[in-house]
Amino acid sequence: MKDENLAVRAAGLTKSYQGRTVLNGLDLAVRRGTVFGLLGANGAGKSTTIECILGTRRADSGTVSVLGHDPKKERGILFQRVGVQFQEGDYQPEIKVFELCEEIACLYNCPADWRELCRRFGIGGKLKNAVKSLSGGERQRLFIVLALIPNPELVFLDELTTGLDAKARRDVWRILSELKGEGLTIFLTSHFMDEVEALCDEICILRQGSAVFHGTVEQAMAQSGCEKFEDAYLQLSGEEDAA
Amino acid sequence: MRSFGTLLKNELKLNIRNMNMVIFAVILPLVVLVILGFIYGTKLAAEGVSYTFLEQSIGALCTISICASGLMGLPLVVSEYRERKILKRFQVTPVSPAKLLAVEFTIYVLYCAVSLVTLLLASMLFWRVTIPGSLPAFLGSWLLTMVSTLSIGLMVGGIARNAKSASVIACLLYFPMLIFSGATLPLEVMPDTMQKVISIFPLTQGIQMMKATSLGLPTGGLWVPAAMMGAVTVICMGVAVKCFKWE
Repeated sequence: MKDENLAVRAAGLTKSYQGRTVLNGLDLAVRRGTVFGLLGANGAGKSTTIECILGTRRADSGTVSVLGHDPKKERGILFQRVGVQFQEGDYQPEIKVFELCEEIACLYNCPADWRELCRRFGIGGKLKNAVKSLSGGERQRLFIVLALIPNPELVFLDELTTGLDAKARRDVWRILSELKGEGLTIFLTSHFMDEVEALCDEICILRQGSAVFHGTVEQAMAQSGCEKFEDAYLQLSGEEDAA
Repeated sequence: MRSFGTLLKNELKLNIRNMNMVIFAVILPLVVLVILGFIYGTKLAAEGVSYTFLEQSIGALCTISICASGLMGLPLVVSEYRERKILKRFQVTPVSPAKLLAVEFTIYVLYCAVSLVTLLLASMLFWRVTIPGSLPAFLGSWLLTMVSTLSIGLMVGGIARNAKSASVIACLLYFPMLIFSGATLPLEVMPDTMQKVISIFPLTQGIQMMKATSLGLPTGGLWVPAAMMGAVTVICMGVAVKCFKWE
């Protein structure tokens, strides 16, 4: 596949912490305009993979290209075009919703209208509230909003709907599908297989730092011989053996 | 520049909401001034001099906010942001470390400036304090003292491993400077070698300079201390930006 059709290309990513191998020669390719799901048990290496791709962690070996840029060397250019969902707690203790949105929006050349985004994600009435006073689900939706403020071509969503109720999850899926229709590439991790089935064009399943499956949801079911995707996932990821 | 302004506005709001610096950098120096004012009023500093005790103390009073900002506030806020992974969040945005540090730096410059203005106004209004020396020279030495002390704090915050080690380093710098710089004990009573060692602290130089310029005393070569403070500023800022750690 040609590189210009790829939003993310990682080759031979290897990373170990104190002698323990977390990533073992991982190869990844994410096509532009698709939704890519990185799956695996806790500790399989998902977060490390994302960090190496974003350049916030240095891989021991391997190469990464994101939208054609080296994330370590061209941070300033790359992150104008990439949104990243923040993890719980990564905000100033006393900050309010509109202040956090404003602070993020001011860093970009052409940011999205964050008031409109907040409305779309159902937290338009909470702008004056302190971020810490939001419910878990509201905060989660705020973090998705923050990731979309750059008007990105590519967005990283780490466990995107954790803490959301069923209705809110459906709403988030619908909005993300709409954004994909507008050409957004989405890189997500999730522990909810219904979500993966509903959203992902392609998935990669990690097991102890190696990709044990790379393909579509249907291919995963076919390869494992399971009728339900969740069963296929459990079999491929090796979580079933461990249980 | 738009992003600098927005960041500054929001970070300043957060900082004021936290109240620590409002108390230690603005209210505390005023309290000390009021106490000194009630004790000494408009008394002369010594027999045979033309300036009052308060006039002699203005420079030292200004360094309270400079110390609080540069050696406590600034290093702690930067290292806390690192520890809370707020910097890591900024790492996946286009913002540069230099801009983030400049925003936090500016906030503490503002605190020091507010403290300077309130101290001068209060002492002039209530105790008829004047600057018998040169006001521009006094402001110049204040600026140099402040910028060099804040840059030390910026370096500590920029490279400290976590908030705890930043606060340890901050204390190690803060207390010797406060005790030995001449802010509390007069420099003249210390042994010669000790005077030489502590004259490295920009604060020591700064207090002497502010005192001399505000009172119009003979200054005897201000270029050496000024150059030294300038060098401290450049080196510390350079190290802070070069060795900056997101996490």
